[in-house]
Amino acid sequence: MSATTVAGRTPAVRRRSGFSDSALARIFLSPSVLVMALVAAFPIIYAVILSLYLYQGRLREGFGGLENYAEALTEPRFWDAVQATMIFTVTSVAAEFAIGLGFALIMRQTFKGRGVTRAAILVPWVIPTVIAAQLWYFMFSVTPGFVNDVLGLERFNWLGQPGWAMFSIVFADVWKTAPFVALLLLAGLQTIPDEMYESARVDGASMWQRFWYITMPLLKPAILVALLFRTVDALRMFDLAQVMTGGSFKTEPLSMLVQRFVVETPNPGLGSTFSTLTFILVLAIGVLFVRALGRDFVLSTGGE
Amino acid sequence: MKLLTRDRYRFPLAAILLVVVALVAAGCAGSSPEDGGGEEGGGELTWAIGGAEAAPGGVHQEVAKMWSEENPDTPIRIETLPDDAGEQRQQQSLELNAQGSGFDVLGMDVIWTGEYAVNGWLESLEDVRAEIEEVTIPGAFESAAWEDELWAAPYNSNAGFLYYRTDLVDEAPTTWDEAVQVGLEVGKQEGISPFVGQGAEYEGMVVNFLEYYWGAGGEIFNEDATEVLWDEEIALEAVEFMRDSVENGFYGSGFNTFLEEESRNEFQSGKAVFMRNWPYVYGLASVKKESDIAGKFDIAPLPTFTGEGTISALGGFNNAVSAFSDNKEAAKEFVVWASTNEEVQTLLGESSLPPTMASVYESLQDDPVMKLLGEVLPDAKPRPPAPEWNDISVTIQQEIFPAYNGEKDPQEAVEAVGAFLEESIQE
Repeated sequence: MSATTVAGRTPAVRRRSGFSDSALARIFLSPSVLVMALVAAFPIIYAVILSLYLYQGRLREGFGGLENYAEALTEPRFWDAVQATMIFTVTSVAAEFAIGLGFALIMRQTFKGRGVTRAAILVPWVIPTVIAAQLWYFMFSVTPGFVNDVLGLERFNWLGQPGWAMFSIVFADVWKTAPFVALLLLAGLQTIPDEMYESARVDGASMWQRFWYITMPLLKPAILVALLFRTVDALRMFDLAQVMTGGSFKTEPLSMLVQRFVVETPNPGLGSTFSTLTFILVLAIGVLFVRALGRDFVLSTGGE
Repeated sequence: MKLLTRDRYRFPLAAILLVVVALVAAGCAGSSPEDGGGEEGGGELTWAIGGAEAAPGGVHQEVAKMWSEENPDTPIRIETLPDDAGEQRQQQSLELNAQGSGFDVLGMDVIWTGEYAVNGWLESLEDVRAEIEEVTIPGAFESAAWEDELWAAPYNSNAGFLYYRTDLVDEAPTTWDEAVQVGLEVGKQEGISPFVGQGAEYEGMVVNFLEYYWGAGGEIFNEDATEVLWDEEIALEAVEFMRDSVENGFYGSGFNTFLEEESRNEFQSGKAVFMRNWPYVYGLASVKKESDIAGKFDIAPLPTFTGEGTISALGGFNNAVSAFSDNKEAAKEFVVWASTNEEVQTLLGESSLPPTMASVYESLQDDPVMKLLGEVLPDAKPRPPAPEWNDISVTIQQEIFPAYNGEKDPQEAVEAVGAFLEESIQE
């Protein structure tokens, strides 16, 4: 790997005039970097600046320094939101992973009707999240009560109790994104050569042993990618909670807290504070994952 | 990439790219002319209003059509906002805060007058005050003014009704205790919920709560909002009533997730004995094809705890002119017209939306909704139209909602609300 990936030092090709390879690379990268700076870096920095000011309604009242942060970190609603976000993330990612892996293993097999099965498994993922949320809202709601009718329960208040409200949201999210995880894992599964399974079978390995000793280790990079994507997405969930419960019954995620304070109340200073704190949290978790991913990636693909 | 060089793939790829570019171009082109209500000052007006009647087929759409036919140079178009009043306010404030000219006429809930006026979002209507004042019912007129200046033209009013099933109950209850007793009995017999109302965590729940609180004799502020009159004992009584209703089953399961439309849905499909809702349901629930209870229900004033008199929350919409509109003259004419034109107000009355024009109440006396409104409106209490009302409402939501659901100690909740009211007065 090392010989081909070091830029700018390709031997025997010397530019006659103009830029060196690395300068050219920088020039070509600059439009993307500029766009990212505008679209990503600017709002983050602006939010940090806004969070340092105090607001009354939409009128700026003065420089507050870290006063907003002190208020945000002692606000019980903030810690409730952190808890709700964490519970949602852990349960939905775990469930999506388990179900997605099952789907991927099924989709990998060759059987009659495989194409149809694959398409059917993928349909939920294709529906826009907010529409899926609205659909599940109607299903779980006491009126008209589809889920209650199907399960034979009389007026069970799914969306109106702490615990079950979160369950409904997690359910809708897993229904929608397990196919996405399945796709990512299927791609990983397809890189595992069949010869490995054949030789294992010849050696007398059982199905479980083949799964645990061949599939899982070789699938690790794909698993980590899927977990990274889904975790960061779940930490930012907004529409499911907004549509299904409005944030009541301990289902208010961090992003909804931010929206309440930035748009609804409004208090741009405090809202930006929540926004920055959320950003730091998601960034920290993302970095942890990428670190774990990076190490594993390198180790499993041959070393640097 | 092989894809780009294989001849076989070039044509389909080019076709796909063309389609994508065309779609994007159509999307961009489609959105720009809509921005800004009037293009040259004599153009189209945009009326930002929400709720069930703003959707196609609703009465607001008919009113817009009437105006557009009579004023072809300045037609008006409705920008439908969400059902939930809180979300309507969000949408409007986003546009107004950006000083955008996208909305010319604002359909404002009666509680936002103070807030919008203080933020400088509205055009004063003092010059047409006399015209409007002489035909409007007093409660509605007061809700459109802030600090004695008229900022909006009253459009429709609203008060809470008790809906009850005439096939199951002989007489409407006059006290809440009676309602609970009858409701539980009949509900058990028929296997339906005794009572549905608005219990989800939003402004509607605050309205329901205030109806109990006021009905027990409580007040929030004094006349000019300089003193807090919040009574913790009475508030506790109200919260405990709600808490008990959850526990004994008076509030049907799911009550704490219902907004207006959900409770209407339950009652209309025959799954409740009593319902607290606004008058608009009457018309909709009487349509035989859509309602399972057409002809089997009636309306009555809301019960109180003492059995004497009645109290309900005064709601409604006022039309205001945006301070950032490109077409203020035409917008002003529209809001005055909608407020003082007999035909328009009668149309509202016929759709079970209480008009603000006093004379319509006399002409429509035979309509059961109008008759009950005539009884109930004089006692309908407005929520304080103070600019801080949104914050107060959110505090009440956050304290009382968990309290009545058993998630929070009611005493703590009512104390917290009292403390917040004291704070907001001081500012």
